[in-house]
Amino acid sequence: MIIGAGGAGLRTAVEILAGKRDATIMAVTKVSSPQKSHTTTAQGGFAAVNPKDPIDKPIYHMFDTWKGSDCSSDQNVIKKIVESAWEQTLWLDNHGLHFTRNEEGRFSKRTFGGHTLEFGEGPSAFRAVFEADRTGKGIMDTVWGESLKGKVSFINQSIATELIFKDECCIGAIIFEESRGEFTAVLAKATVISTGGLGQVYKITTNCRQNTGDGLAVVLREGLPVMDLEAVQFHPTGIVGPGILASEALRGEGGFLLNKNMEHFMERYAPNMKDLAPRDMVSRAIETEIREGRGVINPNFNLPHVWLDIRHLSDYVHDVKLPEITGFFKKFAGIDPKKDLCPVRPTVHYHMGGVPTNEFGEAQKSESQVVPGLYAVGESASASFHGFNRLGTNSLLELFTMGKFVGDRVSEYLGDAAEPGDLPKGTGEKSFALFSRYFESKGGENLWKIRETMREMMTEKVGVFRNEKDLDEAINQLQELKERSRHISLSSSSLIMNQELVDRWELDNLLDVAMVIAQGALNRKESRGAHTREDYPERKDEFNYHTVAYMEEYGKVVLGKRPIDMSIFKEKNKDYKRFDFVARKY
Amino acid sequence: MGKLHSLTLKIHRYDPEQKKSWVQEYNVDVGGMLRFVDVLRKINQEQDPGLAWMSSCEHAQCGSCGVVVNGKPLLMCQLLVQNAINQFKTTTFTLRPLSIAPVLRDLIVDLPQAYKRVHKAKPYIIEPADPPPEGDEHRIPPQVMERYVEATRCVNCFCCAEACISSHRHFLGPNAMMANIVRLFDPKEKAKQERLYILYGDDGVARCHTSEACSFVCPKEIDVAHFIALGKEAKFS
Repeated sequence: MIIGAGGAGLRTAVEILAGKRDATIMAVTKVSSPQKSHTTTAQGGFAAVNPKDPIDKPIYHMFDTWKGSDCSSDQNVIKKIVESAWEQTLWLDNHGLHFTRNEEGRFSKRTFGGHTLEFGEGPSAFRAVFEADRTGKGIMDTVWGESLKGKVSFINQSIATELIFKDECCIGAIIFEESRGEFTAVLAKATVISTGGLGQVYKITTNCRQNTGDGLAVVLREGLPVMDLEAVQFHPTGIVGPGILASEALRGEGGFLLNKNMEHFMERYAPNMKDLAPRDMVSRAIETEIREGRGVINPNFNLPHVWLDIRHLSDYVHDVKLPEITGFFKKFAGIDPKKDLCPVRPTVHYHMGGVPTNEFGEAQKSESQVVPGLYAVGESASASFHGFNRLGTNSLLELFTMGKFVGDRVSEYLGDAAEPGDLPKGTGEKSFALFSRYFESKGGENLWKIRETMREMMTEKVGVFRNEKDLDEAINQLQELKERSRHISLSSSSLIMNQELVDRWELDNLLDVAMVIAQGALNRKESRGAHTREDYPERKDEFNYHTVAYMEEYGKVVLGKRPIDMSIFKEKNKDYKRFDFVARKY
Repeated sequence: MGKLHSLTLKIHRYDPEQKKSWVQEYNVDVGGMLRFVDVLRKINQEQDPGLAWMSSCEHAQCGSCGVVVNGKPLLMCQLLVQNAINQFKTTTFTLRPLSIAPVLRDLIVDLPQAYKRVHKAKPYIIEPADPPPEGDEHRIPPQVMERYVEATRCVNCFCCAEACISSHRHFLGPNAMMANIVRLFDPKEKAKQERLYILYGDDGVARCHTSEACSFVCPKEIDVAHFIALGKEAKFS
């Protein structure tokens, strides 16, 4: 059973079928078709070095990922993913993705922030293959199509509310089908969590409406850990207002940022890479410009922002290579990027953390112990390829290659695993208790007010810049909001397609993951990648580890550590010194 | 904030438990730059948490929020309040669910059922072309791709199917046809014969009456009718 039928989940499904053609796969999705998943909104590209490339080399990509992560991704995972990247683009090509071609009919490539040649000493690397500015849609359509072909059964408009265990093994989950209004226990030899992101914790996000951290919250309720949730990526260029993503490809193709005084301010923050510095650095630079009074206020939304200038790019780039994004500015901001400056500001985009897994996607209980039968992949998982900051085009790469590895592992496991047998006693009681409480609770609290208060508070206090005072306040406020949420009464007691009921469940998930983000951020008294503490502005060696967090009771977060894998460094091959805890300058 | 507009929304509602339909009126003051999804969210937040509607990405990349506004099928996420007022020359809007599948509740229809028609058009490569040499991509000139990639931008929102004057029962629909036609162009697809059977089958393009309503309403501004026409004429090279 696959919980979450986005790019990662369905890549896993297709690979399971490649290894075990007679496998019966059920893919549960919250949306009305897998094609509506968040993967479909990814724009810019898929990083992959052709091993035959005369200029670029996989080792450069590994280094960029390591340095980009602020030296906190796992090197065994980096090596495995980067070395499989090219083969996976060919898989996509052979299975029908319409990669944009150059005049020779080969893959076109573009550059993204933090991707360089010669260990950052050379120029920007043209490393990302793409399908115009809808690469995620191409990937989603391809794996969705292959899943249809492979007869995966889709359970649409459904959520997984609880995992089922027997003898410490995961043997399935409780599924709530919204359109039928029924809970069902589904037994499976293997269960894969691929529920995606948690962007809705924040007020302004590129994430879909359904990205509410569901899988993470369910895992936490089962007493299992999540990892590095404090590492939340703010994409520097969200379109002001709704926060829609304006891909880094705009800067990759030659766009640049300007402040109120029309100053090309990135020259001050990253003298070499300028606008193509990694996302965490550009987001901090924009927030700093705004804080120091060099931002512009948008009259429609009363929001401060900076400008993105792409007026000088050719009509071909605007109309053929980036048609969707150019269209977004026209449709959602009412401006013409060929003639006007584009208003942009940081927007929550991605979380680097997730359910901790090993390099095969097996979910971990602790550093040395996996949960048999349970896997995690995609944004909801953390292996960890991205550490504390993800590079652009590395997420499609990661979800796709990890999907393959997890699929391989699951198909092996299916051969050996015992049948789940009978339903264990007490199955479904947790879900029954939780949803009964939603219907029974009485009081004057408003679900949406609590949700909006949380989103504004998290943006203000647990955003790009953090400090102890704000984080303490955030934790207290979350505790209060959770308490208040117990006094929400629902307007209907119907189970069928009751959007309000799902909203209520999502609120719990959001509050739960928000608490873990805030406590992880409070505990990490340093700045690393996307996690920036104003009171501790430097990275510190004593924090060279992943944060592992458990939360069985609200607010009582138990923190542990997982070491960072340094296997490339330890192999002592040529260039190994690049993979030490290096300084991060761009 | 910019100027506020006072809107009247008349929303078709349906309660699956009572099997009851009615039209409910909501009055709401909103800024011109808000999308219709933001307007409905505001109604959920301030007036009626029970009003059910569907969305996902909310920037026209997923096609989940199709409804019919004042007779026109469109994506609610792509309709800004000020544009709606200019386009329809009114501040009163009637919202009803798409008719391409049964209504589940209020504005939510059974999209998985509508999707079955797309599945019949096999939105994947049926039989892949022989792979290129080891480690290489297929060589496809950009001029070849230019003829069909526009059609791959389709998000299956079913707005074209809603506007189509051919029956939903007998025609797989413009979007499903387009998914098939893409692979008739695509040099990576070998199963051209099977694709032609889908195209010219009983529920294929012969059902199309060439009203071009599909192109007129497509939220992605794809010239759907152009691709259907190429399909009818079998112009794939």
